[in-house]
Parts: sequence; structure tokens; C-alpha cells
Amino acid sequence: MVTTFKESKRDKLFLALNYLYLTVALVLVLYPLLYIVSASISSPQYVNTGEMWLFPKGFTLDGYKLVFDNPKIWNGYMNTVIYTVLGTLLNLVVTLPAAYALSRSDFVGRNLFMGMFLVTMFFNGGLIPSYLLIKNLGLINTMGALILPVAASVWNIIVARTFFHSTIPKELQEAAHIDGSTNMNLFIRIVLPLSMPIIAVMALFYGVSHWNSYFPALIYLNDESKYPLQMVLRQILVLQEMSAETTGAAISGDIAEAMNNKAEIASLVKYAVIIVSTLPIVILYPFLQRYFVQGVMIGSVKG
Amino acid sequence: MQQKRKGFALLVSATMLVGLLAGCGSSDNNKEGGASPSVEVSKEGFPIVNEKISLTMMAPDVGLQNWNNMAVLQQMEEKTNIKMVYNNAPKDSFETKKNLVFASGEYPDVFYAAGLTPAEQMNYGEQGILVPLEDLIEKHAPNFKKVLDENPGVRKSITAPDGHIYSLPVVEFNQPWYRNPMWYNGDFLKKLGYDKLPATTEELYTFLKRVKDEDANGNGKADEIPLSSVNLRDIRTWLLGAYGIYEEEIYVDDKDVVHYTPIENGYKEYLTFLNRLWKEKLLDQETFSQTAEQKKAKAQNNQVALFSDWHAYMTLGGEQSMDDPMFAPVKSDMVDAPVIAKNRGVTTGAFSISSSNAYPEASMRWVDYLYGYEGALLFNKGPEGTLWKYTDKASLTKEYLPVPGGGDREDYRATLTPNYGIPAPTISIPETSKGLLTEFDSWVENESKTKLLDKGARIPYPTLFLTAEEQAEVTTLTSDLTTYVRQMEAKFITGAEPMANWDSYIKTVNKMGGQRMAEIYQAAYDRWKES
Repeated sequence: MVTTFKESKRDKLFLALNYLYLTVALVLVLYPLLYIVSASISSPQYVNTGEMWLFPKGFTLDGYKLVFDNPKIWNGYMNTVIYTVLGTLLNLVVTLPAAYALSRSDFVGRNLFMGMFLVTMFFNGGLIPSYLLIKNLGLINTMGALILPVAASVWNIIVARTFFHSTIPKELQEAAHIDGSTNMNLFIRIVLPLSMPIIAVMALFYGVSHWNSYFPALIYLNDESKYPLQMVLRQILVLQEMSAETTGAAISGDIAEAMNNKAEIASLVKYAVIIVSTLPIVILYPFLQRYFVQGVMIGSVKG
Repeated sequence: MQQKRKGFALLVSATMLVGLLAGCGSSDNNKEGGASPSVEVSKEGFPIVNEKISLTMMAPDVGLQNWNNMAVLQQMEEKTNIKMVYNNAPKDSFETKKNLVFASGEYPDVFYAAGLTPAEQMNYGEQGILVPLEDLIEKHAPNFKKVLDENPGVRKSITAPDGHIYSLPVVEFNQPWYRNPMWYNGDFLKKLGYDKLPATTEELYTFLKRVKDEDANGNGKADEIPLSSVNLRDIRTWLLGAYGIYEEEIYVDDKDVVHYTPIENGYKEYLTFLNRLWKEKLLDQETFSQTAEQKKAKAQNNQVALFSDWHAYMTLGGEQSMDDPMFAPVKSDMVDAPVIAKNRGVTTGAFSISSSNAYPEASMRWVDYLYGYEGALLFNKGPEGTLWKYTDKASLTKEYLPVPGGGDREDYRATLTPNYGIPAPTISIPETSKGLLTEFDSWVENESKTKLLDKGARIPYPTLFLTAEEQAEVTTLTSDLTTYVRQMEAKFITGAEPMANWDSYIKTVNKMGGQRMAEIYQAAYDRWKES
């Protein structure tokens, strides 16, 4: 650290406390992550007894072996990538123009449209009407059911609108018009290249939500081959739940035996599966983080 | 729109047809569905239909194999000429999906292993969404009819208060356990020199105490957890028996009087006993917080003396062992002999037919096959020649074949048949597993026979339907009652609430409807008894 002036005692105290506080925060955040990584390569017996609490104990890679041998996980991975890429592209195509248009003061009826958007943030039809809607649109058991209903998020539109509002001045728009640019041209040639931060942020917001979503898949899909990764993970964890469910309740012997086997495998696989499914997003973060901070901050501070 | 109108005409005729067949004359059915009743359904033998038909089936799925690829279901399709289109939802979220489907107005033709609750059966039965099955059973289900004729109790248990049968049950008479049994750690017994199991609560206390004090696992540390449990749910029923109580909530005594357990005197004694165990650290101090996996981990660490599981080895780890004896119910001073609960053997809601099903007769014949020896065998053990073969077909004796690919037998079975971990419509017939039982299986059977069945185990309260009003009232009452009762149980046992407060506890429970619970179930029981 470069010190240009002498620190007073109070400054030093402040710094020390600051470091202490940050260290505590770091430990709080890091511990669960480390725990999961360690648990994924430890023998489940030690994990369950609590003997494994930080560093791996009874090292084993069986969990990962089981995960990677499971064709469903790969299929789920592929589906999730498809949903995430297609879904996010559609999200951007819908969100950015909407947000830009709503940010322009010369857009007639912007308040009306904004109001209409806002209503959907606070009121929605609920689960069963949504299901009926999707059913009547013929989207049940199609990939569209996971992409189309979530094409636009009003929250994200507002964030992007604020960004456009504060970073693209009206003068720029006027100058372009004087040079003979159409609105479409202006948006594609001038506004978009200036808006990389918000595009990255939007892509990340939407991408993560697609990656993590399972509820629409649960409700709308009947066909296993279309399940996204999160659904497959759930199914694996269900097996463990089933074994817990049998606690006390006598069922048939075949089931009890099966559950007994499953429980061991499930606790072995659980942590490996968490790692495998979150790793891609975790890896993606540092690369987008630059834009992430920039983008959100610009929108919020000046807006 | 056009199609809808056409559908409507068909719907009217379908409604009338179904009404006629079922003889129920329910009037305001407004459901969709196109009937093509031209297909001939053969009375007996296979295929069931001469022309291939297709039905949709909704079922929970444990996610180990796509149902389209299951050998058993493929064989079934070939045999019956009925193609099932599977509409699966993962088992853990099946309830959500089931409710959505009922709300959506577009129903699958049949529900398989859907676990329809009595309330759902009555509700959707009255709305005409589920078809009454009694006439179909009469005409098209020889196997299931035989089950009903041989066990009149089953018919009573599956008939709704309006006189209709809306679902077929899981019938399981060979499995006597109401809850998973409790098991002793055989090594501990030997170490402490027990050749006779504790027979009274006092003896049980002494045993647990000795486990703790005399270092039963011999590691020099007093780390023994004499009695371990997850939330008490797994051991409650067994211990209540010592105080003359059959079940944790509702039971009927030998004089046909129904009791609500949490307000019984015996229940108080049970709490007192467990409180004593708790204070002396004989009951696992993590009973109310741990998971089943954690309990198992402790047992595998050789710390636990008494616990509940399907088989002892599942908790203790290792191979199947006949050295860990089953817990023989103990008695207190209150009673002459412990009472023991036995499995009801009948679970309703395993199979239903919806009103949009155009082929109810064919569907009934399809499922009826599963209630016969052949069908039950196929669905529960897989096709002949894969995991088992006959050694003597005349006496139905079989033997296991090595698992193809050498993996786990149960895992492999799960890829063959849907009857794995779900409440599927079936019946357990002793002949199904003839020759397949190991020495261990026979030992377990003998343990339950001598320790439970011969000691007078019986069903605590029969499977029966409450009326819609009763059901509604019970649902409202239990949601609060159960929470309060379980909370207080934990408090009394851990000592957070002194036993001196028992009277005010009783007052609160009765204010919340404890006594009323007993009355409702008494009325239902009296009806059941008379019918």
C-alpha cells in the first residue's frame, strides 16, 4: 500500500478492524464452499458423522465417477446449455430494444407501456392459470415452455432502461438523426456498441436464472430426455429423500433394501453433483465481473 | 372450436356410456374425451383387445429408467395389445404435478401408483373425474374380485362412504410390521452377557444403562448412545406398546373404543420413561435434530445399542447378520402384556381410472392382471429368465440368476419394472418369492413371528374412509394438533417442560380438539364395523 500521509492511530485502528471484519466475512463465505469441495471427495461416512469438517477425509473420487458415468447428467447438461444459450439470446433480443425504447423521452406512450409492464411485476395469474395457458398454447412438454414464458423480465428491463437513460444522451440521438440515421440504425450501430456493460450484465442475470431454473421444467415437461441439469440433480437427490422418508414407516422389503443401497450412493453423489453443476457458472463470473460491477453501478448511481 | 363441439357430442355419449357401465347415474359430468367404443374387449385371456389401443398413464418415477424402456412394461404391451403412453413426474414433486393435472381439466386415462388420498378419491369421485370401479371389478377383474371375496375387510376398506370404489389398493398381507422393527446390537448384548432380551421397561432401562456405563463397545470411552432415533417417529410405536397403546395417534382398544393417543395416561407414562432415558443420556441427545444418515453413521461407528430400521445390517453396516436380534416389545407395570401394532396390509389409491378414459373395461383387465400370481410376479420380480428362473415350474419354485453386468440386483430390477419405490397396485403372494428366500429372510420371518405375531400383534385401526365432513374436520384439527403435540412431546422428554404441566397440556390439547378426534374416528369405526 502506498501511504502518502502519515496514518493516525485512529486510522490504524480503523484499518485493523476493517481487515478483521473482512477476514470474518471471507471465512463465512469461503467455508461452505470449501466444505462442499472437501465433502465431494470424502467418504460419506465421515461426512455424515461430522468428522469431515474442513479437509477431505477418506479420499475417494467415486462420487465423481458415478456422476460422470451417468448418461442422464450429460444429457441434462446438454439441455441446460441449450436452454441457457437460446433462452438468454431471446432474452437479450427482447429486453434490450424494449428497455431502449422505454428510455427515450420522445417515445410516445412510454409511461403507459411502463405501467403495463410494472403491473405484471406485482400481479400474476398463479400456478394453475399459468399451467392452463401453457397447455392451451400447446407448449406442454416442449422446450419452448422453458424459454418463451420467461422471455422478458420486467426487473431487468428496468435496470437496462435506467442504463440507457443515463448513458445515452439525447444529444447523441439528435446528432445521429441529423446525419440521417433511422432509429433502428441508431440502436444497432451506436447504442449497442456503447452498451457492452449492460449487455454483459443482462446476459449474466438471464443466463444464471436459466441455468438454475428447475420449476418450469418440473411442471411443464413430461419427457425425461428434455430435463435440464437441475432436474436431473433433483432426481438424484430424491433418492436420498426417499430413504429418509422410510424412516419408521414399514414398507416392502424390496423397497427397503433398494433405498438402503440408494442412500449410500446418494450421499456420495450429492456433493459431487453440486460441484459439477455450479462450476461452469462460477468459472464464468470472474470474466464478466468487470462489466457486472460497472453496469449495475452506472445504472443505479446516476439513474 | 369445431373440434371441441364434435368432442362435445362424443363426450355426451361417452358420459352416458360410462354412467351406464358404472351404474352410477352421476349427472353433471362435464369432462372432455372422445370415446371409440368399437374395440372389442375380450372377457378373458390375452390379448385384452383385438385392435391395438393406446392409453395415457400418469405415474411417479424414481428416475432410474425411462418407462418406455422397461422390459416388464414392454412385455405387458405385447401381451395385452394396450399401448401405455407414460406421463411421469419425479416422485418428490409428484404431488404438485398431480394437483395441476386435476386442476387442468385434462386427465390421463389411468393413474398408476399415484397415491390418491381418501380425500382426493372422494372429491374427484364425486365430481365424476374418477370413475366408480365396483361394476368393472365385478365383470372384468377376476383376480381382484377373488382378493375381495377372500378378504371381505379389503372391500370395506376401499369403499368410499358414497358406496363407490374409486381406486384399487396395494395389498400386502405378508409384511407384518407397522413400523420398521427395532434391533439390538448383538455384539453389545454378548459383551454384557445377555442371553435373554429385556422383557419389561425396567429391564430395558437397566440394559441401556449398562451399555452406557460398562463400555459395551470396548473402546475405553463412554461414547455409547444406547438408544438412537430420528424424531422418535421410528421408535415411538414400539415403546407405546409397553403402556397398552397401539399407535401414536388413533387406535381402537379391545373393547371397540377409539382413543386419541396424546391424551392417554399411557402416553404420559411413555413420556416419563423417555424423559428418564434422556436425563441419563441413554436416549440420543440428537434425537430431535439428526437425519437418518447421521444416525446410521453413529451406528456404523459402533456406538448404538438399540435402533429402528428395516433390517439391522442396514444401520449397522456390513453384511446381513443373524446376530442382531429383533427388539421384543417390553411391558410396563400398567399392563399384563405389551400391545403390538401390525401392518394394515391395505393402502388405497394405487390405481384409478379417469372419466376421459375411453376403454375402462380394457384398463380394468390390464390392472387386474397385476393382482394375479403371474402379473404380480412379473411386476415385482421382473420377467422370467432375467433375474430369476424356475427350478421347478410345477411347484413354482425359483432361483436367482446372476445379475447381468454384475451390478446390484435391486438397481438392475429398477430398470426392468416400475414397481420400485412407488405404491403400485399389486398384491403380495407368498408363492412369488418361493425359493428366492435366503436363510436370513427366514430368520427375520421367524423373529417377527415369535416376537410380534405370536404375541398378539394386530391392526391398530382399520383402513377406512371418513365422510367428506369428517375428513375436512380432521384435516383442520390435525394440522394444529400434530404440531403442538409433537412439540410438547419433545419438550416433556428433554425436560424443557416439567411433567407437572401435564394437566395444562391435556387441557390445551382438548381445547384444540383432541377429544373430538377420538369421537370422529369412533363414529367412523362404528360405521365400518357395521358395514
